[in-house]
Amino acid sequence: MINPPSDNRPAWCPGCGNVAILKALDRAIEAAGVDRAKLVLVSGIGQAAKTPHYTRANVFNGLHGRALPAATGIKLANHDLEVVVTSGDGDMYGEGGNHFLHTLRRNIGLKMFVHNNQVYGLTKGQASPTSDLGFVTKIQTHGVLARPVQPLALAVVEDCSLVMRSFSGAAEHLVAMMVEALKHTGGTVLLDILQPCISFNRVNTFKWYKDRVRPVPEDHDPYDRARALELALAWGDEIPIGVIYRSKRPSFESQLGVLAKGTLVSQFAAT
Amino acid sequence: MDLTIRIAGEAGQGVQTTGALLVSTLARMGLHVFATQSYLSRIRGGLNWYDVRVADAPLFSGREAADVLVALAPEALDVLRPHLAPGGAVIFDGECGDGCIGIPMTQVAKEIGGSAVMANAVAAGAVFALLGYDLAALADYLGVQFKKKGREVIDKNVACAREGARRAADHAGRIAAPKPTGTAVAMSSGTEAVGLGAATAGVKFVASYPMTPSTGVFTFLAGAADAYGIVVEQAEDEIAAINMVCGAAYAGVPAMTTTSGGGFALMVEGVSLAGMLELPAVILLSQRPGPATGLPTRTAQQDLLFAVHAGHGEVARAVFAPGTPEQAYHLARRALETAHRFQTPVILLIDQFLADLQMATPPLDATLRPIDRHIVTEPPADYVRYAVTEGGVSPRALPGGPAPVVVDSDEHTEDGHITEDLEVRVRLQDKRLAKLGPMTAEALAPERYGPPDAPVLLVCWGSTYGPCREAVDRLAARGTKAAMLHFAQVWPLDAAAARRAMGLEGDGAARPERIIVVEGNATGQLAALLRQVGVPHDAELLLQYDGLPFTGEAIAERILG
Repeated sequence: MINPPSDNRPAWCPGCGNVAILKALDRAIEAAGVDRAKLVLVSGIGQAAKTPHYTRANVFNGLHGRALPAATGIKLANHDLEVVVTSGDGDMYGEGGNHFLHTLRRNIGLKMFVHNNQVYGLTKGQASPTSDLGFVTKIQTHGVLARPVQPLALAVVEDCSLVMRSFSGAAEHLVAMMVEALKHTGGTVLLDILQPCISFNRVNTFKWYKDRVRPVPEDHDPYDRARALELALAWGDEIPIGVIYRSKRPSFESQLGVLAKGTLVSQFAAT
Repeated sequence: MDLTIRIAGEAGQGVQTTGALLVSTLARMGLHVFATQSYLSRIRGGLNWYDVRVADAPLFSGREAADVLVALAPEALDVLRPHLAPGGAVIFDGECGDGCIGIPMTQVAKEIGGSAVMANAVAAGAVFALLGYDLAALADYLGVQFKKKGREVIDKNVACAREGARRAADHAGRIAAPKPTGTAVAMSSGTEAVGLGAATAGVKFVASYPMTPSTGVFTFLAGAADAYGIVVEQAEDEIAAINMVCGAAYAGVPAMTTTSGGGFALMVEGVSLAGMLELPAVILLSQRPGPATGLPTRTAQQDLLFAVHAGHGEVARAVFAPGTPEQAYHLARRALETAHRFQTPVILLIDQFLADLQMATPPLDATLRPIDRHIVTEPPADYVRYAVTEGGVSPRALPGGPAPVVVDSDEHTEDGHITEDLEVRVRLQDKRLAKLGPMTAEALAPERYGPPDAPVLLVCWGSTYGPCREAVDRLAARGTKAAMLHFAQVWPLDAAAARRAMGLEGDGAARPERIIVVEGNATGQLAALLRQVGVPHDAELLLQYDGLPFTGEAIAERILG
């Protein structure tokens, strides 16, 4: 892997949470021992979706909202690849909301790293599906009326293989969560990463998150679904970060008889 | 000589099983059979019918009138009896008046077979008697069909067939029927043919959302998945389906999706993506009448211009439009080959008529013969995905190999990374569209049927092949010399080749006095497309958009006026 991107300067504001997430991603790839030749970073559209361009990996930067079906096709065609979806809250929970739900149902071995800043950055400041009630923007001039989507709770309800949350301002924690995700082999991983948007979200600032994030209680059993759901829904003065939920459900691809003989791409090459 | 048997009833009454039984038996006896289905979008209720046309010579179309109507419901009598050919016969499941053969088929099936399901055997037996065919052939086929179910089921079905024949004995041989040759004729439907074409070409990934009339191909591929090593996934929607296909294509396996007009509309952003990422994505688009939900279970040729222009921005693609099951089999392979050769989306345009029709087809090779993906297995150290080349096709490597493969829906540099460099943008867009040159040079020439000096030229595409071909024969029999020109590839079009083939220039075909474009739509889309690409013409339009397929006789009648 010797091809550096042609323009390696991230198109992000100085101080953007994406910068910290990108650094953590690079550290986690090394720490988890992921072979970059086998790594595919998949994204849709948005500020977070530019992430794959700023590191060394195979890249599939597709359409807005459609990272997950593209990643699904990649993983089913070649399940030896490490397929990591790294995109934003608007891309993954809004435009791609239907795919998010059905990806959780399938439990394919995809790692979702969702940069969640509760606002649309690329289009300059509209509400995102995770914006809090009352959040005022130039579109939602009287404040957001629709309840924020609950991605972690949805993932717990759909029995997602591994559900985690972290914060771009907690570098060591974030790297640890990413490594956990990269080493996971049981199916879909959701890692929701809280992240400030310094230009368009003046409510959920770096300090706002910093003051609220708390590690999940040490005695939390991630296989306890009821307790996991409570932690997934916790949002307010205290926001839990860490491993929220684990499932023992088999991965989708491990149940496909056709893939027992090897990856589809290797089977084609052998014919 | 030929005749048409029309089986009609409510959905769920066994219209299809009766039709299928007759088709299989008659083809096995060495008759040429052409079968079409017309059904309503309900699991039960609604009038459906199944036409089985039988002849001692090859058939390419259905007919308007039926010689034998098998009515399983009173509504079938009301609606379809007016469409009975002179001298035709009606068999009704129950009591009926003069000129109608009343056989309580369901009741007979229950009494003799112990199940209403065997009414189809009773009906087939009655039809055989009416046509004067040897019941042994029907009994023989029932033995084959129910071999796995055992002797008792076979015997009951045969007994039902015999009772049907006995009840129609007074009318035995009343309808003159073509003589069987005894040598079985191989049959295929459009659905089976296109599915087998894709499976044998090595398609490895199929993601679709069910939508009539494309669902049959999706189902066929799911059935073939274990034998051919295909992953078949029912996507949550058509948007997911096309994006999954793009992902699988990127990772290196031949991939396709199946859909109809409304689903294809949802996929269109993905068509543009496949164009931008230069991915071999194949889309089977099985047409039905729109706009919107339209007539879900009927046929149309309304999405030609949509398929040719689908995708925001300007996207190179190929569009194939097979006319018969045999063409569908070969063009499914060619669609996958073209997609890989030129790294573009390819659309395979069929419709309900072609999907569901069954006709004599040379046996289709079911062995797996994978296409060439045109992959670079050992990319150089400085590999970039979108190297600008003459002809626009860049060496394609796969992720997982020694070089990273970077693809981006944003405008990108040759290495695949996002760019705002406007000079690069122009160079890369030129590169992507440059493929249209060699794609046009390799485009399939339109197929001509009929004499070179014909003063009447029928121009058509897709499933209208058979009806137009039959119309040419019918016109010849009536003293009008006509020819057909059929486009099995509708994009890209070689304008000069089309002008020559249509006799508009060059010294090939003579310039016809009348050019008539025959299409299953209301606006004449191929006629418009030909003008757009540089084939100026003053063709008449012969259009049909009522949801039913063309027939050769209707086309001939309209031309003769």
